[in-house]
Amino acid sequence: MKFQIPIGPQHPALKEPISLRMTVEGEVIRDVDIRLGYNHRGLEKLAEQRNWTQNIYLTERICGICSHSHTTCYVQGVEKLMEIEPPRRGVYIRYLVSELERIHSHLLWLGIAGHEAGFDSFFMYTWRDREVVMDLLEMISGNRVHYAMNTIGGVRRDVDTALIQKILDGIKILRERSEFYFKIGANEPTFVGRLAGVGYLSKENALALCAVGPTARASGVARDVRKNDPHAFYDEMPFDLITADSCDVLGRTVVRIKELMESYKICEHLLKTLPSGDIAVKAPKKAKPNEFVSRYEAPRGENIHYIKSNGTDKPERLKVRAPTLANYPATIEMLRNGFIADIPLIFAAIDPCICCAERTVELVNARSGEESVVRFSDLRTLAAKRASNRTAKGNVPWPL
Amino acid sequence: MAALKTVVYLLVYPGLIFLFVYSTFAEWFDRKVYARLQNRMGPTHTGRFGLLQPIADFVKLLSKEDIVPDRADKKLFSALPVVGLAVVITAGLLLPVWYFDGSATAMVSFPGDIIILLYLLSVPTLICFLAAWSSTNVFSTIGGTRVLTMLFGYEVPLFMSVLSPAILANSWQLSDIAHFYQHKPLLLLPNLIGFVVALICVQAKLERTPFDIPHAETEIVGGTFTEYSGKKLGFFRLMTDIEMVVSSGLLATVFLGGFPGGLWLGLLNYVVKTLFIIFLLSAMRAMTSRIRVDQVVNFAWKYLAPLAVLQLLIVILVKGLLL
Amino acid sequence: MNDEQILEIINTRFAGRVRDVSHPHARRIFFAADPKDLPAVIAGLKEAVPGMWYIATISGVDLGETFEIVYHFGHDNGAVNIKTRVPKAAPHIESITSIIPGAVLYERELQDMFGMTIERIPDPRPLITPEDWPAGNFPLRKDWTFERVPEVIPGGKK
Repeated sequence: MKFQIPIGPQHPALKEPISLRMTVEGEVIRDVDIRLGYNHRGLEKLAEQRNWTQNIYLTERICGICSHSHTTCYVQGVEKLMEIEPPRRGVYIRYLVSELERIHSHLLWLGIAGHEAGFDSFFMYTWRDREVVMDLLEMISGNRVHYAMNTIGGVRRDVDTALIQKILDGIKILRERSEFYFKIGANEPTFVGRLAGVGYLSKENALALCAVGPTARASGVARDVRKNDPHAFYDEMPFDLITADSCDVLGRTVVRIKELMESYKICEHLLKTLPSGDIAVKAPKKAKPNEFVSRYEAPRGENIHYIKSNGTDKPERLKVRAPTLANYPATIEMLRNGFIADIPLIFAAIDPCICCAERTVELVNARSGEESVVRFSDLRTLAAKRASNRTAKGNVPWPL
Repeated sequence: MAALKTVVYLLVYPGLIFLFVYSTFAEWFDRKVYARLQNRMGPTHTGRFGLLQPIADFVKLLSKEDIVPDRADKKLFSALPVVGLAVVITAGLLLPVWYFDGSATAMVSFPGDIIILLYLLSVPTLICFLAAWSSTNVFSTIGGTRVLTMLFGYEVPLFMSVLSPAILANSWQLSDIAHFYQHKPLLLLPNLIGFVVALICVQAKLERTPFDIPHAETEIVGGTFTEYSGKKLGFFRLMTDIEMVVSSGLLATVFLGGFPGGLWLGLLNYVVKTLFIIFLLSAMRAMTSRIRVDQVVNFAWKYLAPLAVLQLLIVILVKGLLL
Repeated sequence: MNDEQILEIINTRFAGRVRDVSHPHARRIFFAADPKDLPAVIAGLKEAVPGMWYIATISGVDLGETFEIVYHFGHDNGAVNIKTRVPKAAPHIESITSIIPGAVLYERELQDMFGMTIERIPDPRPLITPEDWPAGNFPLRKDWTFERVPEVIPGGKK
């Protein structure tokens, strides 16, 4: 007997509104229909009416957890359009914040995977460690999310030697804890029993449906923008491209934990070889008519911005394609013939950042969004507010 | 006079009010252990150490709006929480906690009451299913089918493992079993495998991780209790808490030797032994993740049922050799 | 395969069917083709360049009288971008999902936002706009203005 189950737009398993209509037979899913558009804010049309610097603010708010990757991608592109080159120190600090953001995002994802699988203890532990990263980012930039570090021509804040030492200490603690999570993730039988064999995406399907990020890398596709299309000094960084062959959610977990270890290596390299000098160059107000395709590896996959200028101080066209949108066709394929119990896990395994995936035009989205929508960025800001009220209860030694 | 005594015993101790207070305390203990194992604090604010938190939650739920879905069967929908609560409190009366009248050590005690207790503890599962069915909601229906599917897994090992010490003690009466093990404590050791099996089965009966598939929050919203709110939800939650206390009481009676020692010592015994079992259940909850319903049935029939049979064989051997 | 090799393939194999081949930055190649040659060029490149199974996105640009559609492909060492133009009065183009199935979402977005018609697209539903979006409104066109319809809450007070 087939009947349809609606997952979303509002559902405890989803952090953001998206509608998945599943046709199920017993506990097996036969078909999936994804409907998008609930979180649509009209960013591309808005970007055409703001100048280059205001657009940094706009692109940052595409998402809460991959905010820095969107601004980095955009700013990289605009710098190439204006033909200016940021100084080496600025680029190193930019990449340091990117890698810290990647660490933060992967730890968050590990917690979400634990929570969706019902393993709440794992969720609590990884999110406790996320606090270490967020404290580091707050020390560097002043904000726990939406760091506002990038500007056209470099970065806005500098790091000094005391801060560098603190970051290195924090990374050491995180490294031992990530190794502990790797042991749990690979060995706890109830957890592995939920993850292994679930959400199978064969390599042919991953290639045909153009999957990106750890979703594709867990199916054996060796595609990482930091290796294949390195921008600026990424080809000097010592790290490996991580792939796995199991093509299921367990593979994606393993890929993300190993990428955490690689990010620690990159951060340490960046901090130890940080060159001295300026952190930014002055950027012109207008850009000559030109176009550029800027690609960047966000924690979820490849982020691509296509920027076209027409000689004024506003862009002619800004097209943003965030990685989660590219993974939707692959998700539909993964959900087919799976169990209902696996829906949250499969969907969480692509690390959905739905507000990233929906930005194109719609100045008037209020009619579809009138019901209560809880966006990821709202949850993030709530967490930040609660954390700032926490210090009154006594001193907690840092790092936690 | 006897009628007044009975009413007091029904309502105060060991009946309604005692079970209510003790089960809220047990819930506090469970939440505290679960939180500390996760490097969190648990309830701290309401009352000293957060002891009043579960009572506060219950009172809050009583004051919320009670919504009955349009298409649901109203009488069944509203009656189920009350029936469930009544059933588990009745089950609680069968435990051999000290009773003022020195002769019996349970308020209701007769040969065969262990079977009645096990039966009464199975009824809440059926009530959960009926609650899910009468909600006419897609998520509840799936939750209801999962509840019954799990029932096929854990009932048989639970019955077999709880009845093995009864076979060894040669009686079907709870207070007699408790007496037997109080006089021969060494005979508790052959029942160890049964204890472990019964612990896992009780975790499944109470629908706690790793077996909380029926009300898995991240998958099917609320599962069986999606449509319940207000007083009815409060009663259901209280029913789950009392079910936890009664099941641990059953395990403590049968596997840990009952509650000897009169009023105060017996009460202390009761509290300590049931809290020990609840501690084990909470630790199990913190250390595992949820498994799927087909994996539950798989696990139950491949591992738990054979172990329960093994326990029965051991008991029969010991009985033949020693008694 | 580096940029020079790809440029050579483009210039020799598809000579006459491509125009304006440019290599403005490292690992970025742009060229233009006509809509009727597009499927053949894409299929040929997919077969000739290793790693070219991947389409990153499809951008639409409103140039006034024409739409310019840019297909962004990624391969193992960079990006190749193919541009094509269709007139605004008759914005039809053929779907490339027969060659690269993963392009379906991007083509749906072009239909939704610009009002283009993609022939033989496997799933023609709009991607972003809601079910009650008034027809004929294509938000990303430069000349789009919108008059907001007054709000009606179903089942609520008037």
